[in-house]
Amino acid sequence: MTTTATTRIAARLVDATKIYGEGTAAVTALDGVDLAFEGARFTAIMGPSGSGKSTLLHCVAGLDVLTSGEAYLGDTALGSLSDRALTLLRRERVGFVFQAFNLIPTLTAAENILLPLLIARRAPDRAWFDHIVDTLGLGHRLDHRPAELSGGERQRVAAARALVTRPEIVFADEPSGNLDSRSGAELLGFLRRAVDDFGQTIVMVTHDPAAAAYADRVVFLDDGRVVDELEGPTAERILDRMKSLGG
Amino acid sequence: MLRVALTGLRANKLRVALTGVAIVVGVAFVTASFVFTDTIEARFERLFSEAARGVDVVVRPVRPEFTTGDPTEIGAFDASVLEIVRAVSGVAKAEGGVSGFAQLVDHDGNPIGGQGPPTLGFAWIDDPDLNPMEIRPGNGRAPLAADEIVVDSATASRHGLALGDEVTVITPQGLGRYRIVGIADFGEEESLAGATVTGFRLDEARRRFGLEGRFSEISVVAEPGVPPADLVAALEAILPDGVEAVTAEQATAEQLAEIADALGFLNVALLAFAGVAVFVGAFLIANTFRIIVAQRTRELALYRTIGATAAQVTRLVLVEAVAVAVVAAAVGIVGGVLLSEGLTTAMDALGFAIPDGPLTLRARTVVVGFAVGTIVTAAAALLPARRAGRIPPVAALRLDAVRPPRRSLRDRAQGGGALAAVGVALLGIGLFAGPPNPLAFVGLGAATLFVGIAVLGPFAVGPLTRALGWPLVRWFGAAGLLARENTRREPRRTAATASALMVGVALVVFVAILAASTKATVRASVLETFGADFTITSANFSAGIPRIVVEELAALPELDVVSAVVFDVAGVGDDTARLVAVDPKTIDGLVDLGTSGEVLARLATTPDGVAVAEPLAEREGVGIGDTITLAFPQLPDFPGRVVGIVESSDLGELVVTRATYDRGYLNRFDSMVLARAAGDLAEARRAVEAVVDPYANLRVQTKDEVVADAERQIDQLLALVTGLLFLAVVVAILGITNTLALSIIERTREIGLLRAVGMLRGQVRRMIRWEAVLIALFGALSGIATGILLGWAVVAALRDQGLRSFAVPTGQLAVLVAVAVIAGIVSAVYPGRRAARLDVLEAIAYE
Repeated sequence: MTTTATTRIAARLVDATKIYGEGTAAVTALDGVDLAFEGARFTAIMGPSGSGKSTLLHCVAGLDVLTSGEAYLGDTALGSLSDRALTLLRRERVGFVFQAFNLIPTLTAAENILLPLLIARRAPDRAWFDHIVDTLGLGHRLDHRPAELSGGERQRVAAARALVTRPEIVFADEPSGNLDSRSGAELLGFLRRAVDDFGQTIVMVTHDPAAAAYADRVVFLDDGRVVDELEGPTAERILDRMKSLGG
Repeated sequence: MLRVALTGLRANKLRVALTGVAIVVGVAFVTASFVFTDTIEARFERLFSEAARGVDVVVRPVRPEFTTGDPTEIGAFDASVLEIVRAVSGVAKAEGGVSGFAQLVDHDGNPIGGQGPPTLGFAWIDDPDLNPMEIRPGNGRAPLAADEIVVDSATASRHGLALGDEVTVITPQGLGRYRIVGIADFGEEESLAGATVTGFRLDEARRRFGLEGRFSEISVVAEPGVPPADLVAALEAILPDGVEAVTAEQATAEQLAEIADALGFLNVALLAFAGVAVFVGAFLIANTFRIIVAQRTRELALYRTIGATAAQVTRLVLVEAVAVAVVAAAVGIVGGVLLSEGLTTAMDALGFAIPDGPLTLRARTVVVGFAVGTIVTAAAALLPARRAGRIPPVAALRLDAVRPPRRSLRDRAQGGGALAAVGVALLGIGLFAGPPNPLAFVGLGAATLFVGIAVLGPFAVGPLTRALGWPLVRWFGAAGLLARENTRREPRRTAATASALMVGVALVVFVAILAASTKATVRASVLETFGADFTITSANFSAGIPRIVVEELAALPELDVVSAVVFDVAGVGDDTARLVAVDPKTIDGLVDLGTSGEVLARLATTPDGVAVAEPLAEREGVGIGDTITLAFPQLPDFPGRVVGIVESSDLGELVVTRATYDRGYLNRFDSMVLARAAGDLAEARRAVEAVVDPYANLRVQTKDEVVADAERQIDQLLALVTGLLFLAVVVAILGITNTLALSIIERTREIGLLRAVGMLRGQVRRMIRWEAVLIALFGALSGIATGILLGWAVVAALRDQGLRSFAVPTGQLAVLVAVAVIAGIVSAVYPGRRAARLDVLEAIAYE
């Protein structure tokens, strides 16, 4: 993949505001955020607890609706879409990796990976499936159920599921948050390769500088606003930036 | 702790309500059964006392030791007894009466009554003090001429009979035309328990019932100040043999007992349905509490960590269960009162007139209702409650669900197997060993078998849902796959939820098999047994075929042979046997009684001859030439000469001549007339119809029509029973709804994830729907298997009673499976909607 594709905007937020609750109990989670995610790039969103990073992810992924402003996936404005349209959009154009509880316990690993296609009743691209499974080293675990898999394996199955539909964008919410450092590194390394090798667009929320260091770009959020950005980050530079922000 | 329990209930209103429904239904049936019986007793007591008002003593024939339930058989005595009675000091007045069966015909030529309550005729007594009926002003007068009658006012208004109308009345003497001159009531009531009552002049009644010069009863009024008991004693001293005097009070009590007896089957039926509802409800309650305990593991463990003992936690759950039961039982008792009101109305509509009056709700009924509700609930909740007590305190602190240790699968297999075996054994004893009360054994055996199968159920969930689920996976994609897997993830829960349906369906299947087998038996029996072209029978249970009909038919040139048959019952030792009275000269070839022509010939020529069916002959140890002592109502010790041992037939175990019958019985109605055409069938039928037509209660049928008629009656009964059993199915559907609603709470995050990765609301609904359908199918199929087993066992046991065919109504089973699918779909509506409306973000929130 060449870097010329970076000019494409995969998703963006325009003056995005999200307020939970009403009156005195109102909490502003996003406060006029303008942000674009370029295609075929790996973007990390960082910020302290309550900074609005998960809300941002949910709103741009079509899981939540903005109070004002607009979220776009490609050229599609999400604000006016019905529940059905949002669901179809998530199914066809978005992939998800959550921190925990990514898998359906009654289904095997293979079934979990193919779940979005099963739901859509679309035939899987066998070669692509095999390729992902090989890359993630899940070949021998396909017939196992989540309860029989290690934490790292479970997150890799989740990642495979996120990629199997070749979505426009993958959203990952603390994907390595529950993993030991070795499994976490494996998973993040795989996400990195998905960007480099397949040209996959990934947006990841994390509070771990080491995880964010796998990204091409880091966006810092605080009190619902974008407060800083970093291109080509390393863990040290992220830590430095966090310190200066915190101070 | 009580307050904690009640708070827990308030927080879970819906599941509590669903659980309560099962108890409500069960308690309602129990209550209805008691209220209905008590009410009927109280109301008839009033009615009879009203009717007997003024009468102090009744003089009547001594009841024969053996009676057939036919009031005619109680007999009559010479009219001279009236003068003897009147001469006794202390008797103010006395009047004699006669009674028998009479069939009224309405203006359209249809018979009136006779499908349930009897159609009675009696001699009108002019003295109002001695007559239970009274003609109110404006309703005409007493009959003065032989062709004048009085009818009861309920019959008159129901069938549009008015003063001055000419009507036909059929009695054993044949047809008669009468003019209605009076319409009478029974005190405050318009009807005597729905009976159709016709009052004739005394001499006419005697003629119609063949009781010339006799009375069947004398009503006596005592002089003022003479106690009825003293009068009874005085009368008893001088009454001839075979006639007795009893107080009117005692006679009323006896009548009451007869009514209670006649309606006793309803009481049994209500209690049986109550038992089924309570039993199915117990499954539902146990299952719900098991799930609630599982979901509240952390909360219950928290009580343990702050110092509650295991016993306290168990008690907490039990108290919750009992609190639900008390409220539900209260609702059930109210429902039962309404149900019994409805039943009384329904009985009225069916022609069993139940006197007006208030419902009788005794304290005992309320106590029993509450006891049944609370005890069953507490018993059902006991196991889940004990399980709650075994939750370790550490479960409160751990993220993952810590469950109390489960019993091993081997224990479950052994326990379930043992229960099923005990159930089968009890069934076997009840059905084949002939214990003193077989029904109790069969009921208990079936219940134990059901529990055993429910315990074994989880083992079948895996293979069965795999087999049943593959079309779902194939046709419905992810929703189908997930539905199948969801039924398999907790086999115990799936099996327990399906158990209630299993019981309901098993009972429906059982009844359907019994009905189908009976129909097949009747068909085979009628087709094999009857050689006649036509049979003439009566649609009236009490009034049969007048003898003149047989004579008129015998005179028809279109008929080759005509023969009349009476079916009755005779006493043999301490038991009874079915008796057939025939004309041995004409019967041969018309109907197969197991008798050969030779036996019939001997029957015709031997005085007191009897042909005995083989099993009965064996039981009594008699052979050809021996004497068998039979009890007939009018001949308590009839020495029958055994002229033949015949094959067992469906029609009777004893065959006698009509001449013998006439000596032993007062009944002069025939039960059936058989005829063979001389030439053209259609022509013969027209001729027979022409003779029979005026007799509204008679019908002419070919063999095929007899079969169709019998089948229709069985189907009607089947429909009624199935309708009531479907209540159990409704309770079972509520059980599925309850389980699914609870499961969805557990699976909130999973459903959120599915929605996040692109599952539409409709697909979520479909997933829940197919899960429900799979559970329902599992229940239905195991129920069908169990029902077939039960049906087969009972049919096999009734083989001796003449149930020779075993038939499985496959069409009805297919319908049942379809009903189960629909039941599943219906039960999933509410949980499916809830699941589809889950907020995706809240569902996947895992902070």
